[in-house]
Amino acid sequence: MTQVPTPAPGARKLGLVIDLDTCVGCHACAVNCKEWNTGGEAGILPDYDKYGEQPDGVWFNRIHSYESGTDGHSRTVNFPRSCLHCENPLCVTVCPTGASFKRAEDGIVLIDTDICIGCKLCSWACPYGAREFDEDNGVMRKCTLCIDRIYDESRPAAEREPACVSTCPAKARHFGDLADPQSKVSRLVEERGGVDLLPELGYRPTNKYLPPRQAQIPTTPREAPARPAQGIGAALLQLLDKALSR
Amino acid sequence: MSAKSVAYTTCYMCACRCGIKVHLQDGHLRYIEGNRDHPVNRGVLCAKGSAGIMTAISPARLRTPLKRIGPRGSGSFEAISWDEAMRLLTERLAAIRAGDPSRLAMFTGRDQSQSLTGHFARMFGTINYAAHGGFCSVNMAAAGLYSVGGAFWEFGEPDWEHARLFLLFGVAEDHDSNPIKLGLAQLKAHGAKIVSVNPVRTGYSAIADEFVPITPGTDGLLVLALIHCLLEAGHIDTEFLVRYTNAHHLVIDAPGSAEHGLIARDAEGRELAFDRDTASLVPGSATGINPALNGTYVLADGRRARPAFALLAERYSAAEYAPEAVAERCGIPAATIRRLAAEIAEVAFRQSVVLEQPWTDTNGRRHAQMVGRPVAIHAMRGISAHSNGFHTCRAIHVLQMLLGAVDTPGSWRYKSPYPKPIPCGVPPGRPGATPGAPLSGAPLGMPTRPEDLLLDAEGEALRLDRAFSWEAPLAIHGLMHMVIARAYEAGPEKIDTLFLFMANMAWNSSMNPGEAIRMLSASDEHGNYRIPFVVVADAFASETVAYADLVLPDTTYLERYDCISLLDRPIGSAHGPADAIRVPVLDPGRDVRPFQDVLIDLAGRLGLQDFADAQGRPLYTSYADYIVRHQRAPGIGPLAGFRGADGSTFGRGEPNPEQLRRYIDNGGFCVHHLPAEQLYYKYANRAYLEGAREMGFIGSSAPIVLQLYSEPLQRFRLAAEGHGARVPPERLRERVRTYFDPLPFWYAPLEQAMSDPARYPLHAITQRPMAMYHSWGSHNAWLRQILPENRIYLHRALAAELGIEDEDWVWVDSRNGRVKCRARTMTGVNRNTVWTWNAIGKRAGAWGLGRGAPEFRRGFLLNHVISEFLPAEGAAAPHSNSDPLTGQAAWFDLTVRLEPCGPDTSDETAPLLGANPLRIRRATENTP
Amino acid sequence: MKPAASILLLTTLTGFAYGLLAWLGLYVATGTPAAARLMVLSGVGVGLVLATLGLMASALHLGRKERAWRAFSQWRSSWLSREGVAAVLTYPIVLGFAWSELRDPAAGLARVLGVAAALASLGTVYCTSMIYASLKPIRQWHNPHTAPDYLIYALFSGGTLFVLLHALAFGTGAAAAALSALAALCALIAKRIYWRHIDMQTPLATLASAIGLPKDTPARPLDAPHFTENFILREMGFQIARRHAAKLRRITLGLAFALPLSLSVLAAFELVPLASSTLAVLCAALGLLTERWLFFAEATHVSALYYGRRI
Ligand SMILES: Nc1nc2c(c(=O)[nH]1)N[C@H]1C(S)=C(S)[C@@H](COP(=O)(O)OP(=O)(O)OC[C@H]3O[C@@H](n4cnc5c(=O)[nH]c(N)nc54)[C@H](O)[C@@H]3O)O[C@H]1N2
Ligand SMILES: Nc1nc2c(c(=O)[nH]1)N[C@H]1C(S)=C(S)[C@@H](COP(=O)(O)OP(=O)(O)OC[C@H]3O[C@@H](n4cnc5c(=O)[nH]c(N)nc54)[C@H](O)[C@@H]3O)O[C@H]1N2
Ligand code: SF4
Ligand code: SF4
Ligand code: SF4
Ligand code: SF4
Ligand code: SF4
Ligand SMILES: [Mo]
Repeated sequence: MTQVPTPAPGARKLGLVIDLDTCVGCHACAVNCKEWNTGGEAGILPDYDKYGEQPDGVWFNRIHSYESGTDGHSRTVNFPRSCLHCENPLCVTVCPTGASFKRAEDGIVLIDTDICIGCKLCSWACPYGAREFDEDNGVMRKCTLCIDRIYDESRPAAEREPACVSTCPAKARHFGDLADPQSKVSRLVEERGGVDLLPELGYRPTNKYLPPRQAQIPTTPREAPARPAQGIGAALLQLLDKALSR
Repeated sequence: MSAKSVAYTTCYMCACRCGIKVHLQDGHLRYIEGNRDHPVNRGVLCAKGSAGIMTAISPARLRTPLKRIGPRGSGSFEAISWDEAMRLLTERLAAIRAGDPSRLAMFTGRDQSQSLTGHFARMFGTINYAAHGGFCSVNMAAAGLYSVGGAFWEFGEPDWEHARLFLLFGVAEDHDSNPIKLGLAQLKAHGAKIVSVNPVRTGYSAIADEFVPITPGTDGLLVLALIHCLLEAGHIDTEFLVRYTNAHHLVIDAPGSAEHGLIARDAEGRELAFDRDTASLVPGSATGINPALNGTYVLADGRRARPAFALLAERYSAAEYAPEAVAERCGIPAATIRRLAAEIAEVAFRQSVVLEQPWTDTNGRRHAQMVGRPVAIHAMRGISAHSNGFHTCRAIHVLQMLLGAVDTPGSWRYKSPYPKPIPCGVPPGRPGATPGAPLSGAPLGMPTRPEDLLLDAEGEALRLDRAFSWEAPLAIHGLMHMVIARAYEAGPEKIDTLFLFMANMAWNSSMNPGEAIRMLSASDEHGNYRIPFVVVADAFASETVAYADLVLPDTTYLERYDCISLLDRPIGSAHGPADAIRVPVLDPGRDVRPFQDVLIDLAGRLGLQDFADAQGRPLYTSYADYIVRHQRAPGIGPLAGFRGADGSTFGRGEPNPEQLRRYIDNGGFCVHHLPAEQLYYKYANRAYLEGAREMGFIGSSAPIVLQLYSEPLQRFRLAAEGHGARVPPERLRERVRTYFDPLPFWYAPLEQAMSDPARYPLHAITQRPMAMYHSWGSHNAWLRQILPENRIYLHRALAAELGIEDEDWVWVDSRNGRVKCRARTMTGVNRNTVWTWNAIGKRAGAWGLGRGAPEFRRGFLLNHVISEFLPAEGAAAPHSNSDPLTGQAAWFDLTVRLEPCGPDTSDETAPLLGANPLRIRRATENTP
Repeated sequence: MKPAASILLLTTLTGFAYGLLAWLGLYVATGTPAAARLMVLSGVGVGLVLATLGLMASALHLGRKERAWRAFSQWRSSWLSREGVAAVLTYPIVLGFAWSELRDPAAGLARVLGVAAALASLGTVYCTSMIYASLKPIRQWHNPHTAPDYLIYALFSGGTLFVLLHALAFGTGAAAAALSALAALCALIAKRIYWRHIDMQTPLATLASAIGLPKDTPARPLDAPHFTENFILREMGFQIARRHAAKLRRITLGLAFALPLSLSVLAAFELVPLASSTLAVLCAALGLLTERWLFFAEATHVSALYYGRRI
């Protein structure tokens, strides 16, 4: 169904919360995603010119790094980018075939690669660059939110989470129901001021990003204390005078 | 119906040793994920680990043993059988062993079986053995082992759970790849502050709360300035110092004498201290005393002595260590240094962590609580890859001791089986009396006095790489980076066979690969190679394979047994010792053999002790067999878990024939969890030390006294001053005297001090990319999409000054030559530093990559402009480019100049060495 | 955006085709002389052939051509689907129109069907235009100009064809040529307004807002996820140098609009009408292909921000 369904009352909004404060930019999530989905139900994620001049392939998740701020106050920000499972996904409404759809029950945006005609229009409609074309099969591909893991009853409950979340060594990726204000992800968004990417475009992404923080240790600033030209200072002498017990 | 199965083993896409759960479908790899129960990675997996399934199908995999047929380096080989390969090798090595076993130089790289390879070398009788530690951080390993009986280098970890302030010095990735990331996440989760001292802000530094863009090579100054501030303010844990360190031990003050600077001892050899309560000299280890940390005291023989701490306090209180004095050199404002010192003091002394956990110290005193200083430090190659790294690392350990932040809650902690006694006192093994006899001990050890060095009658090095000579007395891991140059220099009289295992010495692990290649293929006037025979054991078509005379093709990590042993580099954590195995989950389907099997086979054929019985019959059929049955000491073998006939003991116990099965059933690893009362203060924790002795980690349960002041160093210094029977040769006297300072000091990295700052104004360093492991990621179809080529990064302001823009081609010039690469600008980098990702550039033809691969054409190695020798001074032979104490390779001392190439330059890196892909002739009878 | 040949052909050819069909329909609706029947019928033939060629070209763009039929299903939300439906519906209407023309060009039915054919044709063009105009991440397309401009260009390009047909049939056609000249003028003006509009637009977003930082934080890319080009960069990251674009704009103005305009004026004054209207068609075709190429090449996609491209 190409039209975006109106979520049923109480429907879940599954998505990721990505913590830019702890992402070290290691690419673990991207590669594990590739690995999982390469054997996944929709078929392998292709690679082109594997050992040649222009190695390239389809990835559902790519890790950028940026510098923000001005010289002296610059900060390096590692930034994983994948489908955000938008609530207002133009990628779905532009699709002429219904291959692109958003699920009513949990908000996951998927592509039915058995229907897709590979017109690429949906990739034009996505401002996040989340869709990639599979040249080998002539169809569009994108993050599935690991639908084949999160609903797989044969996995232990704790392991029913996306591959990228399970693998992230810096625990920068969280998965859950963003419609439930009590869920871990909703609380993280609340506490840490989670944001939408490109809010000005109005896609209302489900995935949220937690902005970088800066921890402080309050101390009273100290001037260089007056000290003798030679030898050890008064404070230390005083300390060394104190009795010790061994 | 397809057959699905799951197997547990240990990842080896890098040396971190994470547990993996491998999903197979019809015998093919389907998916690899982290093992959630594994103590190292707790279920997570890095990019490399996940890409393992592409390594298992890499076109670079070697397929059969190879014998060289073309000129060395040409890549022309003939495929031979294993029988022939083993016969060739056995004949050659048997002949060497019958003459002078040390003419076999065996250097192993990134392997995790040093307890096997080292034992082989010992039993073979060659002193010329080393593993890759000299590349990485032997100076830090030594600094740690000689100071606190553990080290940052894999033998310690921060208390991620309790630390409130975390200082990270020069780490991009480290061996503890996943644990550090997990740890950083844990710190973030409880709001600790992370400070990264690093010239470059990427990776871990990117998420640090504070980034300190230090000038390379100056960390020692920064740390000593922090110590200066702490001393100045009296923020020192004096209780900790007198209890657990040698701060109160009296140092003899008798300049010019043979005992000057040594610790004063009583008749029983116990270190003395001055008790202020009784105003008398007492053993420093006595309890109930009030030891002096300051002042000058008179010994029984009338000589004067001062507490070690007094010497320290005096030195670092001096104005030369004031923040204002070091700020410019370090590139860090004095105010920042003062604030950092204040924050350290604040956290250490006002935000102490108190655990309600009673414990008993070695004096039998019961403590109701564990009180910690939650300042944790971790450091790696930003410190070690400089020639002043030993002292810088000692300075950090001194800082930790002054704060009382060693193995206390919230601070840096030992990973089991550390700590070890300081000094551990096992010197390097010496050649046996007759050819063919084993060495007296393991080839690598820890000298604590000149007598322990391996020297000839002239006082010159016995070893090929000159480890344990006056050139690098504390080279406890050897000088791997010098092997090719020294073998070339020494010629066939000294070395016959160079046996390389898992080290890409003709490329990224050599300084100056162009020279390494020249030396590897150099011959004399008769056409004989200067290095007569080269054996390479590799799994892939690396650059080095082309330079072998005999290639032993190894399996990949998914196709063999391996043992991650407590006798080697263990996977233990602060919570307890642990070890692991690798099990074959794939059928190689090629004519390859696990190297360890080959080595055991070889040792059996050579009839080596411990590998063959008295009749010369091999003792072991395979590595798996050896892992289970070999005993290094009674009850102690490669694996510590499931020992004893019923598999119930850990550490010590009879070999258990079911041991491997038990490991496999347990997910491939075994952990011994220490009880809570043993988790901290391990150097003085009675229960811990007794348990560790039981398990065979240490010889005695005596307390381990942390060495604020390092007496062994002073012993070498005294020799340099002419005392004792073994003194350095004249040309090295001053060098040894200078660098063997018992208290840490800072000196400019050697190469930097010798280079002209006007000509080479910039520092050049490399970093580990998280998604690549040295040279061996480029043949992985996924990883190479991430990083198939590299750039030289520089500060935007510097770029503007030099007229360089993003993606411009530039020359990086050093005294050793020039390399051409493309530039990228950034702001999160020290203004005078340029850097690149390590080991991305590849030699054309290698690694099974196609013509025109970006790795060949635009990827580059900074190594081309690094020299393994320092500039010669006068007529003397040049020193190696290493830390003068430990021989650690000084990769990061490099200074360079940048020059734009101009618009007309070609779109290719330089130097471009010719392509030498493997060309393999198959023996006719094998061709179907 | 990457200008894909198949799409350039599609939009240009269908522009000519549906423009011509619209002219023919309106021409009949306003009352046709019986003598024009052959012209109208052959015009319909030309229009349908061109439209079919264009639609076939567009199928070349598909990854799975054999599934193209599926594209008709989502007309409720997708402009691409609507375009397909409209294109398909246009065939019977136009054929009906042709049939009525054949039967009795003067009958009311032909007139009604003429209007219907014109509406269906222009409706199809409108659907095409809306495919682009509805894409929010591309400011050069997602604006109030795209749809009217497509209609104007279709009327203009179809007009040149109509004039040519007229000239072929009757030797002259001052009124048609004048109208066509007017369309060319409108198209020229529309294009200039469009360019001015996109040149003055502010980017839709900043890199900072794309990565979740406060909108005005300065941000620069350090390392891209992968070194070699990927789908996103090839498809969405295509960018054209300003100098190059300026040159192509001049060529477009001259070739697509100014020359046909002048030639139509010539034709309107009945000077070498056949030659000038033939030339006008050729210029318009080449010029519009350039115009369409620029329409893509100058369009920037928000996702290119992630790779540090300007949008
Ligand atoms: N992914 C991956 N992991 C690896 C490896 C790999 O190749 N890939 N290699 C493994 C090996 S063999 C090793 S030895 C370890 C090394 O692990 P790391 O210690 O992380 O080694 P490097 O990446 O060389 O990082 C050194 C860091 O020090 C910084 N630095 C350079 N000079 C200075 C200085 O003077 N002061 C300070 N404070 N910082 C400085 C550099 O900017 C860099 O960030 O990693 C191991 N882990
Ligand atoms: N400029 C610069 N140079 C550096 C460094 C730096 O920071 N900067 N770092 C240095 C450091 S710390 C190190 S440790 C060295 C590392 O350098 P090397 O020790 O040379 O490490 P690798 O490139 O990983 O090469 C190891 C070899 O092992 C092979 N191999 C991989 N898996 C297997 C296997 O399962 N079996 C066998 N038999 N072989 C296998 C690979 O094919 C490769 O040829 O580089 C050093 N070089
Ligand atoms: S795995 Fe985690 S830390 Fe690594 S890039 Fe992905 S989100 Fe960032
Ligand atoms: S991120 Fe892109 S592909 Fe994913 S739902 Fe949003 S618009 Fe669609
Ligand atoms: S490429 Fe496939 S999924 Fe995307 S819009 Fe076209 S048909 Fe729909
Ligand atoms: S949720 Fe699954 S498909 Fe989506 S990025 Fe993560 S691993 Fe890939
Ligand atoms: S850090 Fe990565 S590559 Fe290294 S052992 Fe762990 S999972 Fe494997
Ligand atoms: Mo290393």
